[in-house]
Amino acid sequence: MDRRLPRADVLLAIMGPPHISDMVTSAVRLAQALLERGATVHIWTCGHATGLTSAALGDSKPRNVVNWSYDYPSGAALAAELLDAFPDRLSWYSCRFCTEERGSAPHIARIKQRPPFKFTEHLDAVDSALFLGVC
Amino acid sequence: MDEYLLIESQGPWGGPGADRFVADATRLRRAGHRVALFLVENGTSAAFTGADEALRELLEAGGQVWVDAFSTTHRAFAPDRLLPGARLVDMDEVAGKLLEPGVRGVWH
Repeated sequence: MDRRLPRADVLLAIMGPPHISDMVTSAVRLAQALLERGATVHIWTCGHATGLTSAALGDSKPRNVVNWSYDYPSGAALAAELLDAFPDRLSWYSCRFCTEERGSAPHIARIKQRPPFKFTEHLDAVDSALFLGVC
Repeated sequence: MDEYLLIESQGPWGGPGADRFVADATRLRRAGHRVALFLVENGTSAAFTGADEALRELLEAGGQVWVDAFSTTHRAFAPDRLLPGARLVDMDEVAGKLLEPGVRGVWH
């Protein structure tokens, strides 16, 4: 099996904790904007960001008590929607070590787990990389 | 001459790092590089409320200051209080800049 990574224009490495700021929203907005311009994008999640695509999240967030009937999609559902919309140009990777340490497995379909020591291969596979949440 | 897209997401109340990041942008510009500083999330607060002096220096040096329209709306910042010289942009414009050949992106 060919294990070489596909080339991509941009890597968005979400390294920081995902819920203390709007970082994930910004990352997904930027990914969508890049994809809509025809670019190829890799997303890599580390740490607790691996939980964004945990299958245990299901498709919906818990109900909002002040908007009871509205169906808020989970992070995993949003990731799946983005992957469905751009199946040939978006690849989503998740750090295997962080996934296992934080209990994020299993992920939803199409999330590829990669060992952390392979991360440099992901840097080599893209023209531009942005690290989010490390400083 | 290199070109940089510097993305500031934390703002002046997120710690001293934001000021240093903007100062780095100004230094890069004064060294002759093209610089666009994109303020997003809480970083947009620097472009309002009296405005951050470091941003004025960047603008005076010829750098660009972009402010995320979505983040400003999210925070109910009034567009008419935007620092003169700064410009509201959407994420599509940021994506376009990042995809230009030779542009280096840094996220803080």
